[in-house]
Amino acid sequence: MRITLNWLKDYLKTDNSADEIAVAFNRIGHEVEAVETTGYEFNNVVVGKVLSTEKHPDADKLNICQVQVDDGPARQIICGAPNVRAGLTVAVATEGAVLPGDFKIKKAKIRGVESNGMICSVRELQLGDEHNGIWEMETDAKIGTPLNDILPKADTVFDLGITPNRGDALSVLGLARDLAAGGMGAYHETWQEKFGDEKNAKHGDAAFTPGIETDGCTFFCGLSVRGIDNTKQTPDWMKQRLEAAGLRPINAAADVSQYVMLTIGQPLHHYDGDKVSGSIKATEAKGGEKLNGLDGSEHTLNKGDLVIADDKGILGLAGIVGGEESSSTESTTHVYIEAAQFDADRIALTGQAHQIHSDARYRFERGIDPSKTLLAALVSAHLLQSICGGEISHVAKTGTQMPKAKTISFDPNLVKTFGGLDLDAKESKRILESLGFDVKGEAKNGGVFDVTVPPHLTAHENPEDLIEDILRIHGYDNVPTVLPTLNLNPITDAAPTRSIEIFTRRHMAGLGYFEGDSYRFISEKAAKLFGGGDASLKLTNPIDAATMSDMRPSILPCLLSAAERNKNRGEQSIRLAEVGMTFHPEADKKQKLDHTETLRCAALLVGDYVPRNPHLPTRKADVFAIKAHALSFIEALGHDLSRMMIKQEAPKWFHPTRSGTLIVQGRPVGYFGQVHPQVARQMGVKDAAYALELDLSLLNTMNVKPGAFVMSQYQPVRRDFAFMVDSDVAAADLMTTVRKASDKSLLQDVQLFDVYEGDKLPEGKKSVALSITLQAEDRTLKDDDINAVADKVIALAAKNHGAEIRG
Amino acid sequence: MTQDLQTLEQKSLDQIQAAKALDDLEQQRVSLLGKSGEITQLLKQLGGMSPDERKTYGQAVNMLKQKVQSALEDRKEALQEAALEEQFAAEAVDVTLPAEPYNLGKLHPISYVMEEVEDILKTLGFDPASGPEIETDFYNFTALNIPETHPARQDHDTFYLPDTADGQKRVLRTHTSPVQIRAMHGHKPPLRVQAIGQVYRCDSDLTHTPQFQQVEGLAIDKGLTFGHLKGVLQTFLNRFFEKEITMRLRPSYFPFTEPSAEVDIECLFCKGDGCRVCKQTGWLEVLGSGMVHRNVLEHGGLNPDEWQGFAFGMGIGRLAMLKYGISDLRLFFESYQSFLNHYGKPSAQKPKV
Repeated sequence: MRITLNWLKDYLKTDNSADEIAVAFNRIGHEVEAVETTGYEFNNVVVGKVLSTEKHPDADKLNICQVQVDDGPARQIICGAPNVRAGLTVAVATEGAVLPGDFKIKKAKIRGVESNGMICSVRELQLGDEHNGIWEMETDAKIGTPLNDILPKADTVFDLGITPNRGDALSVLGLARDLAAGGMGAYHETWQEKFGDEKNAKHGDAAFTPGIETDGCTFFCGLSVRGIDNTKQTPDWMKQRLEAAGLRPINAAADVSQYVMLTIGQPLHHYDGDKVSGSIKATEAKGGEKLNGLDGSEHTLNKGDLVIADDKGILGLAGIVGGEESSSTESTTHVYIEAAQFDADRIALTGQAHQIHSDARYRFERGIDPSKTLLAALVSAHLLQSICGGEISHVAKTGTQMPKAKTISFDPNLVKTFGGLDLDAKESKRILESLGFDVKGEAKNGGVFDVTVPPHLTAHENPEDLIEDILRIHGYDNVPTVLPTLNLNPITDAAPTRSIEIFTRRHMAGLGYFEGDSYRFISEKAAKLFGGGDASLKLTNPIDAATMSDMRPSILPCLLSAAERNKNRGEQSIRLAEVGMTFHPEADKKQKLDHTETLRCAALLVGDYVPRNPHLPTRKADVFAIKAHALSFIEALGHDLSRMMIKQEAPKWFHPTRSGTLIVQGRPVGYFGQVHPQVARQMGVKDAAYALELDLSLLNTMNVKPGAFVMSQYQPVRRDFAFMVDSDVAAADLMTTVRKASDKSLLQDVQLFDVYEGDKLPEGKKSVALSITLQAEDRTLKDDDINAVADKVIALAAKNHGAEIRG
Repeated sequence: MTQDLQTLEQKSLDQIQAAKALDDLEQQRVSLLGKSGEITQLLKQLGGMSPDERKTYGQAVNMLKQKVQSALEDRKEALQEAALEEQFAAEAVDVTLPAEPYNLGKLHPISYVMEEVEDILKTLGFDPASGPEIETDFYNFTALNIPETHPARQDHDTFYLPDTADGQKRVLRTHTSPVQIRAMHGHKPPLRVQAIGQVYRCDSDLTHTPQFQQVEGLAIDKGLTFGHLKGVLQTFLNRFFEKEITMRLRPSYFPFTEPSAEVDIECLFCKGDGCRVCKQTGWLEVLGSGMVHRNVLEHGGLNPDEWQGFAFGMGIGRLAMLKYGISDLRLFFESYQSFLNHYGKPSAQKPKV
């Protein structure tokens, strides 16, 4: 809402400055988004006429001009402008004037010749950029007229953010009233007295007596102004205020209706009374009717839309937008003014359905002051008459203007016990009364007030509304700032994955990853590549349907896109990780959700992994780099890796022979490996990309219990084995077999330390070297003990994998 | 005889001193103190002497033996030290060479600020709580006192998803406030919870991303007041910005609180004089807050005449921008490693509380 200071001052007697008023607006709850100045103020600058010019004797470019600026004798002014000539009407800054840039005009001698002022250019007055000469004014104004009388007046514009609960503040009157309560002067509203008596309107009957055929309209009044000349210009002051408010002046009738709405808050509609057929009524659309709205669009109406109709059809969407055909235009001679009250919810629903955002809808949705409906119609008629002439009819009205007043039972002690402000009940009463409340009852001895809500505060219902008013007028900043005591009631289970989330982020950063963050919506193509794309997880109104339509089923597509962006910026070594939700269509019964949200961690390596250095060979990212990170993370969570399984298979977006599934406690907790080259390429990544993705929600539910600790007194013994097996035997399977050679109390550890494939072995064979560690709790192991286990290792490996022991 | 001993002593000490290596020295020891060493031999001669002679001569030989032993030890130490020096010289490396390569990543600045905020709120008694990011219309709006026709719904720029099987509207949560209702449904008061996480608005321009992060605080108890809300906010802001913050509360409107307040802080950059960051106002808007609306308490299953409380919410990105001077919030979602390396935080850096 944009209003000007001078406009406010029509209804607020105040000595406060614009700055003070801006501070007060913020203090009482109307956020000042901007303060601008408009218009002009020039003292001692007047309209003048150049009577004659002659060359300056000592300067080629200067002219000695005789200029008439008042009834007295002409003044001599030196002027250097090339366009100065006798007969021009000009703006003259006389002695004492101060022009923009703090340029003071004084009597002076220029090259020995006296000059009594300055003839101004457009730029010198900051009215525009033109500076090739003096301003050649086109005006009917008399010589000597101050420029202030011709140019728009200086004013201050406040751009305010009015909150949706303050429909009453969507008008100049409402803001003046609130400022007055906030200590910024006295509210004085003169229109009621001037125009409010409907008996003043007496030239014949209104053209139509409104009908109401819907419960969405509670009051409807109308009157006619006949015999107007709507080609008359809206006065400048009104145009300037409308423009300051951000509106475009159209014609007198339309401008007056806007002006009254902005001032009083009641939306109006001005019909061309001669284009309304037979009758006028508020009713409901049957559905399917067409309306050409003043918003320039054709609307197809829905059943139940609130409309204004005549005998022929629909004139407009009630309280939202008028119709093109029946609205007043420049040629209108008979204006029929509609002022009515419509149901806020019905207006909201209709407005949403047709996507029309109008000032009228905005106000009806937020609640209008019912006590001003009739007044607004009368003011509008009189303002219109003052511009365009004509005669004002009686008012015709239907329905009940004033709803029943609301009363709130209010314990003023709440200001302290809820608001935290120890305020005398009398002061609370005074504040409420200053806002228009009627306060009855004694607050002494625990008594309560009966507070009647004034009609303009349509949203007030609860004691808290009153507390808010008392606190905001008294000043939020004056409420003492106190820390509450803490009644301990710890809640430990309400954010179950929050700590694993933080731990994981930090662990991944420690492993060398930069933590990214991505939009959770991705393209349908990307979602489908990673097992998503279900219809239930598509946004119905994405920002960009091509790239941001589907909730992500995996973090990997986000990381691959990020890798491409980084690559385009010249990054050679991509190390990205992200922790966040993924979305899945299956219902989550435990959480009572129609879908499942899973906390995951993903990481991506592309390109250089070990850079050039004096110690280690350089290395590109590979499967075993990413695998190390997956395993070290799982181990860091406390899991025993020797009890973990790795399956040589993974979802379709992984490379089919370079990826694996991580199985912990019998459940797949994630995948690692090379991203399928075709998938990576479709995501814009041409280089080999290595990824892991882990289900943190699942890992978070697993209990980790370390076994009992026994410190053995006896030495461990190691034995190495080199087995020759078929190339396709999985190393992990061979190790699992070897582990079965003895129970864990004896066979403490199995490690694989070498794999060889090549010339020295038959084709299709590989050598796998393993080391086992044996240790007993109760004795030194003898050769027999060790050999027994070693024999079993060899036998089992042979039986399960066809392994031959080498040399 | 004494003369002989003196000669022997001089000779022995000279030889020991001349030994160039431990082997040499050992040979010297054997030839002097070994079973058939010169000094050992002299001691053996003592048996054939008269008691007086034996006493005098014995003392002299023993003294010689001690001197020689001590010289041997000194020389051994010196030679060992020299050998060590030699070894060190041979083993020298340039320790200023780069270390073996290692990779250290960074935490996203938003993650770090989330931890900072969360830790401070924990010290004020707010326990973490969470809720789904795809919410029903009920939790996101209705239960928070935002009925369908409410103008505030239009301000929320909501992303919608297809309805649930039983016909409930689904949305991407537009704020963390639905967690308020879930917390009240799941736990009995007194209650202090915080919810931190992603929220979504269908809005994208220079100053808005369609996804961002919020934190929400909710306190429900008997006798909590608007003054307590101010106390918690003042403490939080002081700790987060690590200095005494000047706070200004502006009456505002949120459907789920009443009274409601927007909280501004005196501009951190110009100290209130007016600058580009605060748009010349001297104030920076940082959060929204208020006393929990009675309708919200009722939707949470609580009697508003028995329980009262306050709630507040703020954007993590805004806090991060103000504290760490990050100027373009769209970069938060681009995952540029250069950006993350600059603004991100090391993995072991602990937020201050």
